[in-house]
Amino acid sequence: MALLEVKDLTVRFYTQEGVVTAVDDLSYRIERGEKFGVVGESGAGKSVTALSVLRLIDSPGQIESGEILFKGENLLEMSESEIRSIRGDEISMIFQDAQTALNPVYTVGGQIAEAIEHHLDYSSEEAKARTIQLLDRVGIPEAEERFSDYPHEFSGGMQQRAIIAMALSCDPDLIVADEPTTALDVTIEAQILDELRELADEFDTAIQLITHDLGVIAEVCDRVMVMYAGKPVEKAPVEELYYDPKHPYTVGLMSSIPRVNDKRERLQTIPGVMPDLVELPSGCSFHPRCPFAEEKCTRKEPPLTDVESGAEATLDTEHAAACLEYTEGLSQGLTYSVETTGSADGAAAGYVEGDRDE
Amino acid sequence: MRRIYESNALHRDDEEAHAPSEKERQTKLQALRSVPSSTLSDLLIPRRFRHLPVSVSVETSDDEYEVGEPVPFRVTLRNRLPVPISVPTVSPLLWEWTVDGNVEAAEVPIRDPPDEEGTLSFDRGERKEFRKRWDQLFRVSDSEWEPAGVGSYTIGAAINATNAEERGLTDETTVRIVR
Repeated sequence: MALLEVKDLTVRFYTQEGVVTAVDDLSYRIERGEKFGVVGESGAGKSVTALSVLRLIDSPGQIESGEILFKGENLLEMSESEIRSIRGDEISMIFQDAQTALNPVYTVGGQIAEAIEHHLDYSSEEAKARTIQLLDRVGIPEAEERFSDYPHEFSGGMQQRAIIAMALSCDPDLIVADEPTTALDVTIEAQILDELRELADEFDTAIQLITHDLGVIAEVCDRVMVMYAGKPVEKAPVEELYYDPKHPYTVGLMSSIPRVNDKRERLQTIPGVMPDLVELPSGCSFHPRCPFAEEKCTRKEPPLTDVESGAEATLDTEHAAACLEYTEGLSQGLTYSVETTGSADGAAAGYVEGDRDE
Repeated sequence: MRRIYESNALHRDDEEAHAPSEKERQTKLQALRSVPSSTLSDLLIPRRFRHLPVSVSVETSDDEYEVGEPVPFRVTLRNRLPVPISVPTVSPLLWEWTVDGNVEAAEVPIRDPPDEEGTLSFDRGERKEFRKRWDQLFRVSDSEWEPAGVGSYTIGAAINATNAEERGLTDETTVRIVR
């Protein structure tokens, strides 16, 4: 049995401007100990997906349909007290902004110890000892003395480490990490990602890592799901996604990563912005920004398809993409090339220029 | 409890420009600083009358559009009263736009809002303006769209309240699609 199975999840926000479909018919699976990445631009629905897993969607948002099966049990059918016993204990979350996630009027140690006392029935001395051990494990120097520090006495990197310690405190089976390193500089980011990966390996914890940075995904994850406008557009093992991307959006994301040895004069970016989720374009949501879009892309929404067989993707499909090229075929096809240079981590993808009539 | 103005901790001086003055305030407060006017309005105005000051209008910039040209339109919801008003709606979906009676130009149901009441709240005299666009396509199934041909089409908007049409909470306008 898979650790987490999300099936046909749809989350909508009813606002004055209209209905925002933040997550539309999303399905994915995370196995025990697996590191699963969710990537996409701001507004793609990544964070809403993460919050849905913990049932933390607030009004005016509604989980309208779907199932979230954790160890075979549907989280959406659980009572509030049942879900509270799972949050922090079996599924924990690393929030995007550590400074806001920590309560400023309680000590950092106290906040971590509280979760341990609540879920694991430790005495306060035992909880304090375990908290100090965890703070030390995530690299907080002089953990015993820093236990009684307030969040403002910690630096940004230390606050993020404290949040990671809190997420690990009850040995969860799944950690949902929502852009855990976005607010940090690259050196601290690398340290934290290393720690997260080591800790996950040590405790055999599964991670759902949400980020807009494909480099972070390459560093940490086993499998990736690329999201665009609330829908999954590509799902693949991480190496396949890098060496053989199948969706034009993934290719666009990858060609917009700056590289030190890049000989191009200008960095290729994806033109335009993510559409307004209240008023999605007809057909494929990516068509207004896609260099390969044809008229049929404006008339038909492509399903997530197995790129090998062309059959509709299931949870077991290894590599799936949502582009009409894999169901009906585009008249001029997807003409981009992937250049790999040097080592395995130096793969670069880019569109072939001048091969389409614009 | 001793107040700060009873202590000698603060230096007061009528002459010095940057020090607090010793004089007491002479004028009385003219009005309450804040009144929970939305709550008061909800308590005082019965639900069956709350739609009366609200109007809906739909406007397009032109009457004719060429085939394939997107049709931008503006939906304005207005509260004519100088007090806040909240109109109860049948679901959290507060209002919707239609083309020839098809919600958001879809011939198939595109969403199933939860079975609970919603509220469209207006501030005093508030005008809510929403700019939308119909791209001359009709959604004919969950994943397929078809272009609208040459002809006349009615773009409408309605607040999602019971008997919206009878209560004047709808409006519509007609556009022609030409070659």
